[in-house]
Amino acid sequence: MQREAAIREPLILGNKSYKDITDDVVGPIEGAAPRTWKILVTLTGLVAFYGVGCILYLLGTGIGVWGLNKTVGWAWDITNFVWWVGIGHAGTLISAVLLLFRQKWRMAINRSAEAMTIFAVIMAAIFPGIHMGRIWVGYWVFPLPNQFGSLWVNFNSPLLWDVFAISTYFSVSLVFWYIGLVPDFATIRDRMVKPLPKKIYGILSFGWSGRAKNWTRFEEVSLVLAGIATPLVFSVHSIVSMDFATSVIPGWHTTIFPPYFVSGAVFSGFAMVQTLLLIMRKTMKLESYIHIKHIEYMNIVIIVTGSIVGVAYLTELFISWYSGVEYESYAFINRFSGPYSWAYWIMMTCNVITPQLYWFKKLRRSLTVTFILSIVVNIGMWFERYVIIVTSLHRDYNPSSWGEFHATTIDIGIFIGTLGIFFTLFLLFARFFPVLALNELKSILKSSGENYKKIDNHHH
Amino acid sequence: MSKKVFHAMFNDEEKLMHAAEKLVHDGLRVKDVFSPFPIHGLDPIIGVKRTRLAIASFMYASGGTALALLGMWYFMIHDWPMNIGGKPSFSMIQNLPAFVPVTFEFSVLCGAHGMAITYFLRNGTLPGMPASNPDPRTTDNMFVMEITTDQNHDFSADAIEGMLKEMDLVELSIKDYE
Amino acid sequence: MMCQHCNHAPCETVCPVLATTHSNEGLNQMTYNRCIGTRYCANNCPYKVRRFNWFNYMGYDKFKNFNPSQDSLSRMVLNPDVTVRARGVMEKCSMCVQRIQTGKLDAKKAGTPVADGAVVSACSEACPTHAITFGDLNDNKSNVRGISQNNRAYHALEEVGVQPNIYYMAKVRNTEDQEA
Repeated sequence: MQREAAIREPLILGNKSYKDITDDVVGPIEGAAPRTWKILVTLTGLVAFYGVGCILYLLGTGIGVWGLNKTVGWAWDITNFVWWVGIGHAGTLISAVLLLFRQKWRMAINRSAEAMTIFAVIMAAIFPGIHMGRIWVGYWVFPLPNQFGSLWVNFNSPLLWDVFAISTYFSVSLVFWYIGLVPDFATIRDRMVKPLPKKIYGILSFGWSGRAKNWTRFEEVSLVLAGIATPLVFSVHSIVSMDFATSVIPGWHTTIFPPYFVSGAVFSGFAMVQTLLLIMRKTMKLESYIHIKHIEYMNIVIIVTGSIVGVAYLTELFISWYSGVEYESYAFINRFSGPYSWAYWIMMTCNVITPQLYWFKKLRRSLTVTFILSIVVNIGMWFERYVIIVTSLHRDYNPSSWGEFHATTIDIGIFIGTLGIFFTLFLLFARFFPVLALNELKSILKSSGENYKKIDNHHH
Repeated sequence: MSKKVFHAMFNDEEKLMHAAEKLVHDGLRVKDVFSPFPIHGLDPIIGVKRTRLAIASFMYASGGTALALLGMWYFMIHDWPMNIGGKPSFSMIQNLPAFVPVTFEFSVLCGAHGMAITYFLRNGTLPGMPASNPDPRTTDNMFVMEITTDQNHDFSADAIEGMLKEMDLVELSIKDYE
Repeated sequence: MMCQHCNHAPCETVCPVLATTHSNEGLNQMTYNRCIGTRYCANNCPYKVRRFNWFNYMGYDKFKNFNPSQDSLSRMVLNPDVTVRARGVMEKCSMCVQRIQTGKLDAKKAGTPVADGAVVSACSEACPTHAITFGDLNDNKSNVRGISQNNRAYHALEEVGVQPNIYYMAKVRNTEDQEA
């Protein structure tokens, strides 16, 4: 049995047994839905409904209902796309990269973080879909035989790389998440008394029995999936950044984009995990499993990635001047002093300045500060994408074709709507799914549980 | 002689492991173990072999790489080459850098899904399949060791029962089966 | 500004569905019925010369009063040789590909090569001061070839490296007067 140094803070607080872990996680699923959950899901459901309405209006009328024009061909659509994909990255980072690094604290958060990934990628996938002028022929992005020749697709286009990257990322994340869920669904199946839920969880659990050989395969599959999900997650946001980096537009044509987008993605994703988990641990009484130490670890990731993003911003500014390219220099002068300078300064404040507060141990261990900053970071990261997309496009080479973008109510409605859909999906997940990885938590109870650590220390 | 199956239930994975070690040392074969989470170090004791799923995944991924490259060569270079922004669409080698992202993604797609499907098939876990754990508590907090008379011809049923009762277990169930 | 018909067109590389490609005559072609409307090509155009069909201009009530195509009589002003583009597709200057095609077919029927000046783009034809010249750059004796080799000829945004097929002529100024 593996033991852990006494100096490490325990990961599971209180006097917990295997049975307690099951009760704490499965208990809320068996009971009736709490009042707060019902109120929340109604609210988010209404917002989601409004968003769907806006999307239907867009699809019925045309892309012109957005504030786009000949100069600014992408704005909120692709901003939201990149923002949502970025948020998704934290879940994979937690479940895959931290697994490879054998970081056991991930076990309390990986299940819900990965659920967040899947829902965020679904939200992201909405935007490249609805941003197309003719969504009904959107399947033409796949190399399918057709009556045009056959006319195939353009494998030189970064947008096509996106199609492959996003669909691979989504489906692999879903499978990774589900493979982890199967044994936990079996736990619920074996406890459920009501016949219908028992039947449903029985189907969901694929008849999992927890044999020794099953578990060997389970661990191997988890490790290999983590191994391939790690380069995958880095490739996805690199490819998203290539939509811009391979172009000829000043402010987009930048080789720094792939690493800078990936760290920005992890930065915003961890912030979203904090926002969701701080609420979840409180309402579902999971404080023993997701406690200050977990939050502090995540805040450390936030300050590291936030600082990388900050360095990238400054590097961009320096290189735009040092390159000696007039268009490039102007693109950056225009960013911090042009008509969209307010967006630039919101981005700078939220992403570079405020996260530096986490250097103070007291602040990075404070729940209130963490909650506020997690929202601030996501505001900042949304504006980062907005700045990159809109300010680069609205003034490029020819002053005669300069223009401006102003958001319409439909632009805003669809974005708010995806927030509604996202939170609705997450609430449904929190209600019906095991929100903690039961099988993984039980395997670390003896090495990292508070009660077991105390006994251990006593022996020494 | 009727065949018997023994299910020895433990409330701690370390107790089960010690018991398995002792029983195997005494010459008994442990058929299977049901547990709520993976027990590290158990596999060599009860003789569970390493899985080859990782090798399978590598082969699926290699297949994906080959298929992606072949597909892109066919679509872009062979079947209908076009002048796209002056890119070298008439030479696979020269156009290869643009094909790297899709090749990588498709390899990952095939490697991950191929392995996942193999995993579910080999485990016999598919939607709607019936569960085969002997006790519902094995997915919660109990650990069950399964021993059959079938695999242990050198021992009588009574002898196995006696050996198991010496262990630090919670429950012992004995069933006849055909 | 019009489409510069770049030889290394940045719009062509980014289209996921090959709706815009290069013809062997050097035209930057736009295939309307293949376009799915991602607008990536328009964003990646350094000249910003691509135009998008934001609405169904043919049928949307909002444009009733000023879109001639919505009126059975006034729609006769529309060019019968050119397709009306649907909602959600990109469009741009096609270099009057329908006129080039007609010119080539006429020459084929006559059994002669396409003569210089036999095909004229609509903008060139309409310009009263002959500020726009259209022709075959590969024809050594053509008028445009001569103009393109003139000292005054230059490409717009040549430094971006997209190798346009459109040449502009530098304005002639009386520099002595300015210096004095």
